[in-house]
Amino acid sequence: MDEILVLAEHREGELRDITFEMLSKARSLGKDAGKSVTALLLGAGVGDYAEALKSHADEVLVLDHGNLKAFNAAVYQQVLSEVLKSREPSLVMIGHTAFGVDLAPGLAVTLELPFASDCIDLAYEGDDLKATRQIYEGKVNATVSFADAPTVLVTFRPSACPVEDAEASAGKVTELDVAVPEEPAMRQFLEYVEAAVGEVDITKADVVVSIGRGLREEENLPMIEELAEALGGVVACSRPCVDAGWLPKDRQVGSSGKTVKPKLYLAIGISGQFQHLSGMKAADTIVAVNKDPKAPIFSEADYGIVGDLMKVVPALKEKIAELRA
Amino acid sequence: MNIVVCLKQVPETAEAEVKLASDKKGIEMEGLPLQINEADNYALEQALLLTEEHDGDVTVVTLGPDSSDEVLRMSMAKGAAEAVRLAGPAFDRGDPVAIARALAAAVKDLEYDLVLTGCMSSDDGNTAVGMALAECLDLPHATYVTQMEMGDGEVTVGRELEGGLIEKLKMKMPCVLGIQTGINEPRYASIMGIAKASKREIAMKSASDLGLDEGSVGEEGSRTKLEELAYPPVGEGAEILEGTPAESSGKLAEVLREKGFV
Amino acid sequence: MAVSLKETYELLGCIQCGRCTAGCPVGFRTYLNVRKVVYEGLTETGPRDAKGRPEAWNCTTCSNCTDRCPKGVKPMELLIGLRSAAIEKGKAMPTVRDALESTFKHGNPWGRGRDKRMEWAEDLDVPVADEGEEAPLLYFYGCTPAYETRAQDVAKSLVRVFAAAGVPYKTLGTAESDCGNEIWRLGEQGLFELLVEGNTELFRSHGVETIVTSSPHCMNTFKNEYGDLGIEALHYSQFLKELLDEGKLELPTPVEKTVTYHDPCFLGKHNEIYDEPRDVLNAVPGVTFVEFDRSRERALCCEGGGGRMWVEAVEERGERIAEIRVNDAVALGADYLVTACPFCLLTLEDAVKTSGNEGKIEVVDLSELVAMAL
Ligand SMILES: Cc1cc2nc3c(=O)[nH]c(=O)nc-3n(C[C@H](O)[C@H](O)[C@H](O)COP(=O)(O)OP(=O)(O)OC[C@H]3O[C@@H](n4cnc5c(N)ncnc54)[C@H](O)[C@@H]3O)c2cc1C
Repeated sequence: MDEILVLAEHREGELRDITFEMLSKARSLGKDAGKSVTALLLGAGVGDYAEALKSHADEVLVLDHGNLKAFNAAVYQQVLSEVLKSREPSLVMIGHTAFGVDLAPGLAVTLELPFASDCIDLAYEGDDLKATRQIYEGKVNATVSFADAPTVLVTFRPSACPVEDAEASAGKVTELDVAVPEEPAMRQFLEYVEAAVGEVDITKADVVVSIGRGLREEENLPMIEELAEALGGVVACSRPCVDAGWLPKDRQVGSSGKTVKPKLYLAIGISGQFQHLSGMKAADTIVAVNKDPKAPIFSEADYGIVGDLMKVVPALKEKIAELRA
Repeated sequence: MNIVVCLKQVPETAEAEVKLASDKKGIEMEGLPLQINEADNYALEQALLLTEEHDGDVTVVTLGPDSSDEVLRMSMAKGAAEAVRLAGPAFDRGDPVAIARALAAAVKDLEYDLVLTGCMSSDDGNTAVGMALAECLDLPHATYVTQMEMGDGEVTVGRELEGGLIEKLKMKMPCVLGIQTGINEPRYASIMGIAKASKREIAMKSASDLGLDEGSVGEEGSRTKLEELAYPPVGEGAEILEGTPAESSGKLAEVLREKGFV
Repeated sequence: MAVSLKETYELLGCIQCGRCTAGCPVGFRTYLNVRKVVYEGLTETGPRDAKGRPEAWNCTTCSNCTDRCPKGVKPMELLIGLRSAAIEKGKAMPTVRDALESTFKHGNPWGRGRDKRMEWAEDLDVPVADEGEEAPLLYFYGCTPAYETRAQDVAKSLVRVFAAAGVPYKTLGTAESDCGNEIWRLGEQGLFELLVEGNTELFRSHGVETIVTSSPHCMNTFKNEYGDLGIEALHYSQFLKELLDEGKLELPTPVEKTVTYHDPCFLGKHNEIYDEPRDVLNAVPGVTFVEFDRSRERALCCEGGGGRMWVEAVEERGERIAEIRVNDAVALGADYLVTACPFCLLTLEDAVKTSGNEGKIEVVDLSELVAMAL
């Protein structure tokens, strides 16, 4: 039977959410198109993970090998090539993560696979796969079709698909027998270095007042700090604010920063691209202030104000003070 | 040390209203200012810093329409020695793999110890061209690079993973690195500098100049195809609090009080 | 080898008397020492660009040093030249870089899209000259009043005043671009020339005869730095004075306030326009006018000029001059500290907050004061 193959992603002893998100997508796709779902687990000392995976897939392929200990795109690519050549799945899904973006493009080139990256949705129209991806910073959706080929490759965006409950029936686990090359000298893993911890832990705060590039200038920070103080919260930000040096890295919310789940998240002058959203989606209440009524942040927020933050923030501070008085 | 930087020009869309073209295959470019892709600007700066420190030249390469000459000139004003543009209808509407294939054909004949690209472009957002290019050139690669330390024939890079975790790798040169924003502080290109650079030559390369079969690049050489563009469906979305700043923030303050934040 | 600073800026006349330094408003707040910069230029012992001499970025281009020099040396030009040399090498601090890039791309230093340039006028009936349409009397509202929230009130007030006086003015709508005054002073001469070229062509295509500006900075550059533009450039205070004299503008509503007036450097020191704003101010019924001790030629600079809106000042110490100004105004018993420049408006208003004078005094642009009296 035709299969959809999902590359399981894990890091430092844990399967990552994207794995289950992709498996969920694959299962619903497979149901409609009559395809089975296979999870491919590569790594060293990862045998246990098969247990967690098998209720989300029809089959789990495991290759547990010392040379796969570190994620090394060069090694993984070779192994994957072998697996794909022998199994010819009709669709391969890899997470659009730091791991996936390093690996998938090279694989597409060597195996000449039709390839679309950062897909937010996939659907079969008959036998034809259609992918939806976002372009122009989340402002436009593009539908992409693939050339006729035995295998098609996509990277799939994290948090784009909810995780479905596990199936009652568990899939089978198969040990793979594929030669694994040594880590090549041209690219060698050295170590992981944890991000530095600062004085404020934004992940512990109930109220997070977060600013984006819309703040324009570091000089405008005090008014945000005052607003955060009035709400008993902390100040966080999007990535460009860290790049510009306005705030330290430990205040960054998003995929390459912190994930926060506060009771209240105020996004001020943040457009809401997925790398940011993934770090704050789970907040209980999200409020967005943005000049652009089409900013993607508004579809994630519970409440929105369309307006100039330079006017809204001082006004809000005042209103809060009035309520307090 | 010589470095090739692949970069591109993109429309600035973060704050603009993006309108679809009538054929739904592209967007209306009118009124959108063009600029160097953000991550590419960091890649360029990184190359300039490295060649200033370790002696050598930077060559910038782009694939794009005539207007892209502007980013090449800006790069030369900042210090790039040579500029190459892949030009011609054969390259149009390529997918990331086709673009990488074309770029590889241009890069392979250049002298380099490193190839740098931005990790992602703000228009297509493929996050793929740089790493596909590495494969086409058969070079080691790493992307989301936020740290670089030069060694002898090798470079130690820090890749930024989810959660800000840094993965340290040792790479043999030459290699291809996808540079992430924030790795440095890009410099300014003065208008006078750009004007001077506009007198310098940009090497124009067509598919046949590069010995490429026209069917291997552009739309024809792509194994994916853009079918249609659409505006993202508006989900439930936020309840918009209307009014003047005073009114809307008054409403918000009320909401916050109801929820016990004030 | 490039020409020496000595030759380029004609420093040879310098007798090192130090009057430049003594008159420098930022000299006592930062380690910018104008005399020393000139000396090192003269002896070729100092850095040749503002990269090596970051304090050159602190200059507000108030022109005190140049005005006071007994030998006609122009230290301010030297300081701007040091900035230029840094800019040429790409060494602009990020905030300056962003302002310059934005001006090139969007026609304004505020990083905002050109399509948003008329947002300030959204609910107002502001006439826009279509492409090629004659606009003999042009209101050049300027970048800061276009985008900066507080400064928008200047443009909004002025168009109300114009309407009340039946002024047949036009604006250029979103086609208007940065005037270049600050750009030149930030040291980006190439960009300045580009703006001059573009604006000159634009003005000509609309048959502009008179330009009225919101900002003294725009007026200054149109009047003094655009070569043979052949267009009269007026600051709005001059224009309102004319309207009052001709009896076209009536101000019936009293504003019962004690007010003082802060001379913007680019209106006063640079262009010697001291009386018109005071005359306009005094034409507002109900106003009690009190003069600062340090006024007119001796007025303090607010530190908002010379591109300083986009500069992170290097190693400042002591009280900001704008704070001194606000404290002085409070001591005078003024309800309103009136000025006639969007940059002064912003820096002074900020200083009201930072000096703890909130609630004690308000910073008001002259245009607003006049609009109150309509
Ligand atoms: C691998 C990778 C990892 C990344 N990780 C992260 C991450 O962890 N976190 C993160 O945030 N980003 C991350 N990014 C970057 C991400 O793609 C976006 O570039 C970023 O989130 C955009 O930040 P922003 O919304 O502040 O800026 P922009 O997208 O520029 O948006 C600014 C917004 O401000 C609004 N605005 C402007 N002026 C005003 C005003 N006066 N009043 C009100 N609104 C105004 C505008 O309308 C606009 O919507 C990552 C990117 C990559 C490639």
